[in-house]
Parts: sequence; C-alpha cells; structure tokens
Amino acid sequence: MNDSFSEHEELLLRSLDEPVTAREREKLSALMQNDFALRRQSDHYSKIREMMLRQQPDTFGPFFAERIMNQLKQRVNEIDYLIFFFFKKYQVLVVGVLVALLITNLMLTEQFSLRAVFGLDAPGSENIYSIDAYKSLPQ
Amino acid sequence: MGVGCLIIKQFGFHYLMSMKGEPDEVLIEKSRDGDMAAFKMLVVRHEGKVAGVVRSMLGATPEAEDVGQEVFIKFYDSLNKFRGESQVSTYLIRIAINLALNELKRKQKANARYASLESVGGMGDAADTMDLKELLAYEFKQLDADFQAVATLRLIEGYSTEETSSLLGIPLGTTLSRLARAQQKLRLALTKKL
Repeated sequence: MNDSFSEHEELLLRSLDEPVTAREREKLSALMQNDFALRRQSDHYSKIREMMLRQQPDTFGPFFAERIMNQLKQRVNEIDYLIFFFFKKYQVLVVGVLVALLITNLMLTEQFSLRAVFGLDAPGSENIYSIDAYKSLPQ
Repeated sequence: MGVGCLIIKQFGFHYLMSMKGEPDEVLIEKSRDGDMAAFKMLVVRHEGKVAGVVRSMLGATPEAEDVGQEVFIKFYDSLNKFRGESQVSTYLIRIAINLALNELKRKQKANARYASLESVGGMGDAADTMDLKELLAYEFKQLDADFQAVATLRLIEGYSTEETSSLLGIPLGTTLSRLARAQQKLRLALTKKL
C-alpha cells in the first residue's frame, strides 16, 4: 500500500474497508491481543471514522431550489434577449426596406390607394369590363 | 393581480407537492418536456447528498453553494444525455465531486504560499483550544484534494470502497491506498490531541 505503513497497520486499515480472509482476521485478532500500539491505532481509526461519518443530510440553506430555478429562468430570459437582439437588426432592415418601397411607389404613382402603395398594377379597363359588357357597348 | 398571483402560487405549490411521490425517472421525463416544477422536485430531493459532498470538501462557504448550483445547472443541461444507466443521485454526485475537486485544486493552488507558511508554524497552540471534531475538520482540509475526495465519499458519505472508486473513476487499489494515507494523516493529528 505505502512504504510508511507497517504491515500490521496496513492489514488493520484494509480490514476496515475490505473483507479480509479468515486467516488474516485471525492474524489481526492475535496481533490486537498482543500489540498495545496496534490496539491504540485501531481505537483511533474507529474514532476518526465514527466522528467523520455524516449523521444527517446536509443542505445549502433555505430556498436553494428556488435560487436554482431563478437562475435557470434568468438564463432563458438572457437567451431570449440575445435572440431578440440578433434578429433585431434584420427586423429594422426589413421594415426600412418596406417603408422605402412604399414611399417610392407612392411618389411614382402619385396615388394613395393600397394597390399603388404596394406597387401592384393598376387595373386596366380590359380587367374591369368583361367581354360581354364590351359587346353591349353602342357600336 | 394580487389574487391572481396567489392562486397561481397555490396551484404551483399543490402541483409541486403532487410530484413528491413520483420516481426520479418520471420527474426526469417531465423535466425534459419543460416541466420546471418536476425539475425543482429533483433539486429538492437530491440537494442533501450534493450538499454533503460539496460542503465536506469546500466547507460551508459561498463557493460551495456556487458549486452546488452549478451541479444542478449542469444536470439540467445534460437531461437529454442522461440515459438512466445510473441512479440520479450517483450521476449528481459524480458531477458534484468533479466540480468540487476542480474548485478545491484551484483554491489549494492559490493558497499554496500561505500553506507553506502555515506548515512552518504548524497549528501551534490553536490545536489545544480546538475540540476533537474541529481538529479533524482542520486536518481534513489540509489533505490533498484527491485524498479529500476519497475520504469524503468513503468516510463522510459512507459509500463503499467500490462505489467510491466508481464515482471517482479510479481503480480500487488507488482508492484503498488514498484512503489509508488520508486516515493515517488524520490519526497523526488526533494523537497530538489524545
């Protein structure tokens, strides 16, 4: 295990964390009976382990879950904000182009109808009157 | 407006409570579908274990809570990757121990020069005024980050040596050796007191 461990200490520590063979168990119990220092070490290790083992669940304090949820919500808002600003410049561009188009059409056609503003062709008389209507006109 | 908020809060509270008995798998499935209350229930359920590991390694510090929050945010981000091959608690402990280890190593590196001064002077008379538990906690903090991780899982959280190895992704022999060395250092400190 490590050079700084005696063979007995290594066995003692291993027995605390791993199942040891029957032979090793016997050897350890014989050592414990005769070796006061090892017995003392064993007591110390048991005490350390007993004191360190958590007795009750820990906590990060009240409203920890709420803080996480707020952080997640905030992150979602930040993403929405970024998306909004990423597309905002394109939105402004598109609106600008549309307005310029409307003004140009308005100036070219000098009409205030929606068709004119959107650059749609003004309907010709052939589109207004049907053929039958044309025939019914006085010759 | 006020009454509306109250009704929504009450509804949210009852909805959260209704999930108390749901198994983790169901809560994960709901969280994947965007149910934030289900994820909140997972946080409430597993906070204790994560806090145990993180606070054992970093102490009751603001950094410990930051790491705790990061653990759950990382978990939220990886919900779709979580295949359920391990338990949720195991998965969370794995994230927690990695993040806490990183933070601890960063801290130990930053404090290296102070630590060397401390080791020259030792604890001095401070050890006499500390009780046994405080002394152990102090000595525990002096251990290397990797040793602390093993000791936290095995000695504080009570995981078996196999579970500790698996959580840390290290061979069983390494776990046993680090554990033995950590305990030996703690025992040396204890003998000064006893």
